[in-house]
Amino acid sequence: MRYLRNLARRPVRTTLTIMGITIGIWALVVFGSMANKINALVSGGSTYYADKIEVTASSGSTGGFSSAPMSLSVADAVRAVDGVDVVSPAVMLLMDEQPTTVNMGVPPMITGSVAGSDEGRDDFVLRYAEGRALTPADEGSSVTVLGSDIARKYDKHVGDTIDLRGTRFEVVGVLEPTLTAPDQAASLPLEAAQLLYFQSLPAVVQTGLHPLELATTMTVYLDPGADPETVADRIETQVPDVATMTGKDFDQQIGSATSILNAILVGIALISLAVGGLSVVNTMAMSIAERTREIGIKRAIGGSRTRIVRELVLEAGLIGLIGGLIGLALGAVVVYLGDEAGRSSGTVLFELTLGTAVTAVAFSTILGAIAGFVPAVHAARLDPVTALRYE
Amino acid sequence: MALLEGRNLRKTYRLGRHNTVDALRGVDVVVGAGEMIAIMGPSGSGKSTLMHILGLLHGPDTDGGPTPELTFAGRDMVALDDGERTRIRAREMGFVFQDFNLVPTLTALENVMLACDYAGRGGSAGRAAATEALGIVGLSDRHGHRPSELSGGEQQRVAIARALVNQPNLILADEPTGNLDSEHTEEILGILRRFNRERGQTFILVTHDSDVGAVCDRVIRMRDGRIRPEPVPVPPPVAPPIEPVAPERIAVVAGS
Repeated sequence: MRYLRNLARRPVRTTLTIMGITIGIWALVVFGSMANKINALVSGGSTYYADKIEVTASSGSTGGFSSAPMSLSVADAVRAVDGVDVVSPAVMLLMDEQPTTVNMGVPPMITGSVAGSDEGRDDFVLRYAEGRALTPADEGSSVTVLGSDIARKYDKHVGDTIDLRGTRFEVVGVLEPTLTAPDQAASLPLEAAQLLYFQSLPAVVQTGLHPLELATTMTVYLDPGADPETVADRIETQVPDVATMTGKDFDQQIGSATSILNAILVGIALISLAVGGLSVVNTMAMSIAERTREIGIKRAIGGSRTRIVRELVLEAGLIGLIGGLIGLALGAVVVYLGDEAGRSSGTVLFELTLGTAVTAVAFSTILGAIAGFVPAVHAARLDPVTALRYE
Repeated sequence: MALLEGRNLRKTYRLGRHNTVDALRGVDVVVGAGEMIAIMGPSGSGKSTLMHILGLLHGPDTDGGPTPELTFAGRDMVALDDGERTRIRAREMGFVFQDFNLVPTLTALENVMLACDYAGRGGSAGRAAATEALGIVGLSDRHGHRPSELSGGEQQRVAIARALVNQPNLILADEPTGNLDSEHTEEILGILRRFNRERGQTFILVTHDSDVGAVCDRVIRMRDGRIRPEPVPVPPPVAPPIEPVAPERIAVVAGS
């Protein structure tokens, strides 16, 4: 209470200082939430690619997603490589024929594979908000399971139909959010995806290809104990015209790019916080100078230096705490509104975690206290008699 | 018995590189327990400096002359560090200042409680002691008032309550009535005198007001950083002094 009263002595100045901290913490919360979202995407991918190998055509392979066609017969060649247990071929293509919006993270995708072709090896858990999973019996029919963001964006539920690349599909299931790639995907039976993919190819390429012999990617599950890197090297040497990607490759390619982005985001937030922190130093220095005489009184009547420092540091910490809480509240509002607005267009940018919230407030409190420390120590070292004479 | 004993107390303030002020040039002083003394002298005579040294706010200079000595309640004070001096100020001394020097954001009660807190008596014990102290100075109905809501006399009574709340042996007051009118001066002096008599507490008052000196047991007069020797009593004049003529009588004479 006493500390609040001290802050209320100069309400305008205190408010401005708190606003400085507020802006810094606001930036930290918003950018931190953005970084969280990116991290969730990356770690989802990292987990997904751990202990398996993605095989794509070596032409046109970028970051593991390739639009170049491969023959299904490649699956047999890969299966013959030492260390390979199961090969699950799939077709992946962009949902939009001509992508119009730049997406953060993963663009909307159409993926097709024969349900169960991984032979139970895929341990990425998918939960269904509505409906059911695809089954091998769905091959040949036009059905789809939608990721949560896609379902939300187009407002589709089980029983509705959705147009994908000009073909009408019946929605049989909707996934729970995973915070990573499946949220932005529509899963099809392999045959349906193959047909869509074939249609999307230029006429020149179509010649000589049979739609139902096509795949764009193959997921390779390994024999127990096999080293992904070694097996990946073997596949590239033994199977012609394919490229491989392992979990390590993914981390190197995507992980390093996103960690730079994260560093930039958090860096911006920290710079704004540093400015806010300096404003606390300034405020505390001024406020202490104004109170020189009062500090002299307290020292004269027996207040120890430690007590004086403690009082002032707590007061500065309180500025930080208030600024942090307001910044967190404003940041949470932006994150909420941003995600609500983004969801309708399928782009969820932010994820505010409890960790980010607690870190932001704790950080601003500690920052405030540290900012108050130097002027406080300076004040406590004043000679009480000189301080008492101070006008 | 001496409560406070100082010898060879010197203090030189360095204001600039070549500008020093010898505020105290070697003072010996003994204050007995239960005494109420006044230190008087013109500005710059060193009276405040002496009080600051006796009240442990400053240490005496240890170089440039005979070794200073300062004992309080039988303990040597010269060698103490700042923390130990602060502790003694908090627990065994009380301070009253000319400008009242209350903390402006705290209420009267909180100002008094602050001294309890510094003396290690926090919480409800401190609150009870502070309430009692405010009652003794006649401010029972002013607990929740901030200093800005109190008159000068009331503020100084709060300051006295703060100085007395820990029942210290020694109370030092620097011009305690300097900012008060004569009515409030009498009131404050009355309170101080009462505590000195009833509780045997020792008071050192720094003042340039001879009315304040008059209520004290003893006056130490200072000039130029030294204690002036007691003047040799002047023998009473042989001839009776001429009675001054009252102004009203002059008026009567002039008007007749």
